[in-house]
Amino acid sequence: MNRSSVEFHANLATGEAALGEQQRVAGAMRAFTREIGALSALRLESCVHCGMCADACHFYIATEDPQYTPVLKVEPFKQAFKREAGAFAPFFRWFALKPQVTADELERWQHLLFDSCNMCGRCSLICPMGIDVAELIEQARRGLFEAGLAPKELYEKAAHQRRTGQPEDSSEPYRDRLLAIGRQFKVEMPIDKPQAEVMLTVPRTDIEHYPAAVAALARVMAHLKADCTFRSDGLIAENYGYYAGGRAWQREISLRLIEQARACKAKVLIVPECGHAYSALRWEAAELIGKPLPFKVRHITEYLAEALDGGRLKLRSADLGVTAFHDPCQLVRKGGVTSAPRRLLHAMGIEPRETTRHIGFNVCCGGGGGVLDIERAAPLRHRVVEEKFHEIDATGARTFLTSCSDCRRTFDDGKQHFNWQQTPRSLLELVAEHLQGG
Amino acid sequence: MDLVDFARGPALKVAFVIFFIGVVWRLVNVLLLRHKRNLSEPRRSVGASVWGGLKAMGSRSWPHPEFIKRTITGEALGYSYHIGLFIVILLFAPHIIFFGSFIGMRWPALPNGLVTIFAVITVTLFVAVLFRRLAHPVLRRLSNFDDFFSWFVVALLLVTGLMATAHVGAPYPTILGLHILSFDLLLIWYPFGKLMHAFYIFPTRAVDGYLLTRKGAPS
Amino acid sequence: MARPELQPTIGELLDRQGVSRRSFVKYCTAMASLLALPPHAARAMAEQLRAARRPSVIYLSFQECTGCLESLTRSFAPTIENLIFNVVSLDYDDTLMAAAGSQAEEAREQAMRANYGKYLLVVDGAVPTGDGGVYHCAAGRTGLDILTDCAKGAAAIVCVGTCASFGGLPFADPNPTGARAISTLVPGKPVVNVSGCPPIPEVIAGTLLQYVTSGRVPDLDEHLRPTVFFGNSIHDRCYRRPFYDQGKFAKTFDDEGARNGWCLYELGCKGPTTYNACATIKWNNAVSFPIQSGHPCLGCAEPDFWDRGSFYSPIPSPRWGKAGEVSPAQAAAIAAGAAVAGAAIGVGSVLLGRRRIERHQQEPKSQSGKGNEE
Ligand code: HEM
Ligand code: HEM
Ligand code: SF4
Ligand code: SF4
Ligand code: SF4
Repeated sequence: MNRSSVEFHANLATGEAALGEQQRVAGAMRAFTREIGALSALRLESCVHCGMCADACHFYIATEDPQYTPVLKVEPFKQAFKREAGAFAPFFRWFALKPQVTADELERWQHLLFDSCNMCGRCSLICPMGIDVAELIEQARRGLFEAGLAPKELYEKAAHQRRTGQPEDSSEPYRDRLLAIGRQFKVEMPIDKPQAEVMLTVPRTDIEHYPAAVAALARVMAHLKADCTFRSDGLIAENYGYYAGGRAWQREISLRLIEQARACKAKVLIVPECGHAYSALRWEAAELIGKPLPFKVRHITEYLAEALDGGRLKLRSADLGVTAFHDPCQLVRKGGVTSAPRRLLHAMGIEPRETTRHIGFNVCCGGGGGVLDIERAAPLRHRVVEEKFHEIDATGARTFLTSCSDCRRTFDDGKQHFNWQQTPRSLLELVAEHLQGG
Repeated sequence: MDLVDFARGPALKVAFVIFFIGVVWRLVNVLLLRHKRNLSEPRRSVGASVWGGLKAMGSRSWPHPEFIKRTITGEALGYSYHIGLFIVILLFAPHIIFFGSFIGMRWPALPNGLVTIFAVITVTLFVAVLFRRLAHPVLRRLSNFDDFFSWFVVALLLVTGLMATAHVGAPYPTILGLHILSFDLLLIWYPFGKLMHAFYIFPTRAVDGYLLTRKGAPS
Repeated sequence: MARPELQPTIGELLDRQGVSRRSFVKYCTAMASLLALPPHAARAMAEQLRAARRPSVIYLSFQECTGCLESLTRSFAPTIENLIFNVVSLDYDDTLMAAAGSQAEEAREQAMRANYGKYLLVVDGAVPTGDGGVYHCAAGRTGLDILTDCAKGAAAIVCVGTCASFGGLPFADPNPTGARAISTLVPGKPVVNVSGCPPIPEVIAGTLLQYVTSGRVPDLDEHLRPTVFFGNSIHDRCYRRPFYDQGKFAKTFDDEGARNGWCLYELGCKGPTTYNACATIKWNNAVSFPIQSGHPCLGCAEPDFWDRGSFYSPIPSPRWGKAGEVSPAQAAAIAAGAAVAGAAIGVGSVLLGRRRIERHQQEPKSQSGKGNEE
């Protein structure tokens, strides 16, 4: 990655000049050191450089380029740890065994930490030492963010979302778009009820690209007669602060939803078909705000599977021919939503033909974690999705489902690029189409 | 005082002390850093998560089936030389006497001739490990001084050990002295390099097994 | 003044004593085989020896127990070892010679003068150098003085026994007399060490004989021992070696393994680190040697063998300093001490690390970090 292709964006939010090198390093070090704790230290200390994590990462598998070795992606973070807080930190400093990270290196690592990692956690499952490499990468992203080196697209969207609640300007506010979708699909959109059992959120990707999925959410909830509502001030599920590595921004963006859920006294907050939104809210929000959430966070498939078990939801069987299902990494591998999607499929009489690697071990779509938004990452992303296409083709499936709109977008994007035969479909939409008595 | 007496006497004592200081130092340094509380609603109970952590300590010893195809070379090599090292270090009669005298017990040994054969195999595997590290693009990219020096220290022990039994290079006591000195070197280097992995591996696996199970995620 | 050429050749001497050619050749054959020479060399050796003139030998004894000399003179079969006295002219040996006092000293001085630069100095025992050397005096002179004096004109020095070779028992910790090995006291002189406590008589004789035959110092190992006798370790030639290789060890002196003649390694056998000819030449006219009699090798032919812990503790016993073996309690105590120190340093380094982390948090915020305050 040469310097000219690195986007400097520090002035975007504030209009101020780009950061000097020293400030970049200081920013990175501040974030890196803040991320140092017993857990990250244990992980950083443990690595034996066995190289196996490369064999888990689709970016390496697709390219065979050693720079994409997962644990290499955290090198600047590791460097900071060794120099600042490791057992032998003073020696590392005095004898320059590990040099201070440079602005140049940080720039080079932008490509490694953002363009070529979905924070999917596959590497964490292969490591014989048991190191959660993906989590380290997430922490390392935070360093780059504070060095002003988050990729432009992610940074812009995060800044925008933090200010306005939605990651980008739209011709009409998303709230209005939501209501328009309701009219278009003839389904009532519950919005801004002062009080509701369940608060709904919506992926911006669905609003922009898959309105039918938004309608499906409302339809299914209506079918279940759930006391639920969207909230205009806490509508968007994605968290671009999380993608960009802005810890405080991620927190603020989550807080917006949390406050809305609190305001309407929701007992459950539904994360729609968006994987990283699930990670951010289900597993990280409480830690970031420093206290447990006063409500439960559920993915829509989890919520529906619970309804299925409670007998509140009955589904007609669907005849889709051979069907394959893509496990979104954040839901399944990292999120623990392992059985819900398959229980729903089962209820519709679908036994998916599994790809060779599935459930916790599936290969990623390659677009998650913000990669889809990074324009220059497209060629790399395509190589990854190609890998996945081969796997799906090998199942001989006629129908291809997933339950994350970012995965879906990534597949659609790859489909265009490669003229792929399949069309990724949403599990939620499928459920909405097969409601019994609905 | 000749080489053997020095290596087995004062040098060993110093190395022994450095080993314990270093290992504890490094572990304490990790342990006492900030601990994060987990505040998100767990999917699995504490008991289940702890059990998940315990399970991960063992289950990570073999890759999930999905990964085997790509990692089998590394696994096979890794397993073979670790088993070799285990046999040579802990099942060789002289070694048992040596290590046993620190804890006041001895345990059954394998025949020395057999151990020598294992040692030869282990050295060969170890050479293969080095070549792989130099040839494999990922490993070459990852490798640093620590990787090579740790390799060297262990390899030195294997080679001097074999030279001592095979009586090549120099008179037996000289080689034995070098062998013991290499062991002193191993003890001294141990806490500073990746050989610490023997202490880290189970805690790391356990912690991540616990955290992943807590989320209901595969581990 | 006796001139060297007055010495008769060895052949003349043997004839005069009625030793037949035949038995002399037999003697030489035996010797040649000890020296690992090919059989045909024995005849050549016999001829060479017969033509040679007996070298003058001065035998000095210092801090020793006379065991070495006993070993040489009290051998079972007097032929081989005692014949050595026909091969050399033992001009001074205060233990064996009839003369005493100033007469004896005169004999020595005369031999030295007559054979200056040619005589062989054989030394038995270590030389005390502490406190001005007062711990060994003869005829009013210190041992060191005598040694230095006698070494001056010697062609070579042969140290008989471990005390002369390496200091031996007098040298053992705490070495109150400041005893030292001969080789450290005679700079520049060729020294041959025939170590052992005592050395095997055949080895002493063989070494001397080889010197007489060839007229030069034999090939030596790093401890200045003739490689012909000290080239292999006891362990290399031990008949119990197959048991070692199979891992069959006697654990006590009266167990099954001991009765079955298994390897004595775990009972402290120092065979692997000891270079000597016991396992091949054996003792008492090749009747037996310690290991064959069921006792581990003590390692008596090696330097510092007195200071290597108990004779019954196995070789690989860690020993911290000269005090002896490590006990588990001691090891645990040291480990615990080190661990406490390590923990203390660890706490210190964590505090240091945490301070560094704090300091980094204080650094001026970059623009993009604005809003990072929580
Ligand atoms: C608790 C016992 C131990 C466990 C579970 C363990 C496990 C591992 C694992 C998982 C790896 C990486 C796998 C690979 O590269 O294929 C590794 C590498 C290594 N281990 Fe161990 N180990 C243990 C003890 C030891 C000991 C005692 C030594 C040496 C004295 C040792 C020497 C090495 C070396 C040299 C490597 C790196 C080889 C290389 O790739 O260059 N291990 N160990
Ligand atoms: C990583 C591998 C090894 C380690 C850590 C190791 C360690 C040790 C230690 C600590 C001793 C004690 C020394 C003493 O006090 O006498 C020893 C002795 C010895 N080792 Fe090793 N060693 C290793 C490999 C080998 C190998 C491959 C051989 C060859 C088969 C070997 C053969 C010996 C022998 C023959 C002794 C001497 C025991 C005696 O003095 O009789 N070692 N080793
Ligand atoms: S988290 Fe996923 S994408 Fe990122 S390095 Fe690991 S395997 Fe690769
Ligand atoms: S798999 Fe784990 S131990 Fe191996 S290189 Fe990657 S992070 Fe390090
Ligand atoms: S008895 Fe001693 S010399 Fe003989 S094989 Fe055993 S250890 Fe070696």
